[in-house]
Amino acid sequence: MAEESFLADDFLRQLMSVGEVDLLVGIPSYNNASTLAQTLQSVEASLRQNFVRERAVILNVDGGSADETRQLFVQSAERIDAGHKGLTSLRTVHRISCEYDKSPSQGLALHSIVAAADLLRARACVVISPTTTNLTPSWVANLLRPVYRQGLDFVAPLYVRSRFQGLLARDLLYPMCRAIFGQRIRELYSEEWGFSGRLASQCLEKDVWHEEAVRARPEAWMAITAISADLKCGQYFLGPKTASPTGTGPDIVEAIRQTVGNFFWCLETNQANWLSRSNSQPVPTFGPDHELSLDGIPPSQEKIFDLFRSGVSELEPILASILAQDTHAQIEAIALSDRSNFHFAPELWVKTLYEFAASYHHAVLNRDHLVQALVPLYRGRLYSFLLENANSSAEAMETQSEILCQEFERQKPYLIEKWTAKR
Amino acid sequence: MKEVVIQGLSQAYSNLVHMFAEFLPRLLVMLVIVLVGLLVAYVLKTILRAVLHVTRLDRLSEEAGASRFLRMAALPSMTELLSRSLFWVTWSGFILIGISVLGVAGLQEQISRLFLLLPAIFVAILILFLGLVTANFLSRAALLAAVNAGYPSPKLLSWSIRFVIWALAVSMALEQVGVARQTVIAAFSIVFGAFMFGMALAFGLGGKELAREFLERNLTEKKREKHEEPQPL
Repeated sequence: MAEESFLADDFLRQLMSVGEVDLLVGIPSYNNASTLAQTLQSVEASLRQNFVRERAVILNVDGGSADETRQLFVQSAERIDAGHKGLTSLRTVHRISCEYDKSPSQGLALHSIVAAADLLRARACVVISPTTTNLTPSWVANLLRPVYRQGLDFVAPLYVRSRFQGLLARDLLYPMCRAIFGQRIRELYSEEWGFSGRLASQCLEKDVWHEEAVRARPEAWMAITAISADLKCGQYFLGPKTASPTGTGPDIVEAIRQTVGNFFWCLETNQANWLSRSNSQPVPTFGPDHELSLDGIPPSQEKIFDLFRSGVSELEPILASILAQDTHAQIEAIALSDRSNFHFAPELWVKTLYEFAASYHHAVLNRDHLVQALVPLYRGRLYSFLLENANSSAEAMETQSEILCQEFERQKPYLIEKWTAKR
Repeated sequence: MKEVVIQGLSQAYSNLVHMFAEFLPRLLVMLVIVLVGLLVAYVLKTILRAVLHVTRLDRLSEEAGASRFLRMAALPSMTELLSRSLFWVTWSGFILIGISVLGVAGLQEQISRLFLLLPAIFVAILILFLGLVTANFLSRAALLAAVNAGYPSPKLLSWSIRFVIWALAVSMALEQVGVARQTVIAAFSIVFGAFMFGMALAFGLGGKELAREFLERNLTEKKREKHEEPQPL
């Protein structure tokens, strides 16, 4: 019962009327009236089929939707109650809806969910996004079961990825997190994940909920909190994921600001933990640990290269203040090279990222500006990747990805050296 | 005749002695005030320096890019600059109070005018500093946003923002110290107005096609362009 003061009276009243639960399903929403009913059906079906004896609550936390998301949540629940046939839960599945703020924020939504989990003493929790249109009952069960039955504290999802999708995660977030925190969790930034009541309580105690990094992308912070506290983490293969057309995700600049900004912030706040870690360990994985599909059209590469080249030239003084002289010179040299022979080597990419992370730590300039300055360089790396993998097989791409991960691990002492150096 | 000369000399001597007798205590008071001022200014400087160290102003200044300009101008760090400014403003105030104690005719009015100007000078320095920090921050934000969005001439946009904020800060600082107030306001209005008018003309008339393309791209094709790049997550 660490922090119930920020919860609204009405919400607290609803929580108290529920009592204790075993399972909690949190559904953060914002203008999701078109997809919420489908999500609720899958969640209800999952609880009915897989957790017959468990006490459960479905919690909708809304960021001030202008459409009828909240009303729909209550109405759909009544319809589902009246309409289901066959196997039913032996216990009542409670439904609670609350509005956490007048503006959407993943972090504020999660804050309400973990506070509710703590108050209700939930053993296993899952966050489900209503923007996922192909959510099946098995997804909910697969994220809850390892926590509830196998004692894991954090369960990340694994999806089938198109070879040109999720390159930021594959080329930066996963290998960097793996090398630094030593746990091989592929999908740190996802909209669905499971966690234990114990992890919820630990997260609730931390005074970080006002931080922009946590407000924007709380899921990776939660995973890193679990890793840092030596709690058990795992991942579950869920299959392909399709998002609602209304929720196409952030563009590249916004995605880098949110995820890389959040990740660098996690490095800063958890430095005591990762500075002493070396190598990486696989985590318990249910199903295959990756799957690449060869569908998807290669994106237009010309514009990406132009944006990289102009970015390196226009941001020259900013990059000079972030990067080491030698690294900056190498990037300037490849920016001048012929686009058909362009190659952004993994060694240079890793070195660049580590220097960015160290400069973030030393606050050589405004931290949000520093993260934004990474965007043109990421575009360069992206162009190089697209050029080299236009006809590669899934296996070849996975091999390359593994080589990059090992490069991150090999150069970790360089990050530590830069990080701990006095400026 | 001789008596008259001696009387005159003794009168002059007694006047001189009287003047010295009147002046010396005032000089002594002035020296005491100046010394106390030195002490007070030193204490204030030390306190301000400590407070600024605690609030990490230097890091903020480094992040905002103001420190780079200070280094280019061979000036000390922001903390040191502000604490030294406070020292000199405080001590100068005490020196002026000390001089006014001397009671030199005609100097009183000038000193009181100068004395009234000191806080204004300090405020003007503060305005310039804030202007410098704001200009650097906003111009860099504009540069990054323009480069990442692929807009043409991002440096021009960045320098335009920097120039407008500097012009505003300098005119505000000059107005604060009361230097040709009317002229400064008029000059700023003319410069700012001309700049904006020039931009509007250049964008609307000179670059009519570019303006149309820009607006079309931003208002109608933004979503399509966004998906030219693969989904990052």
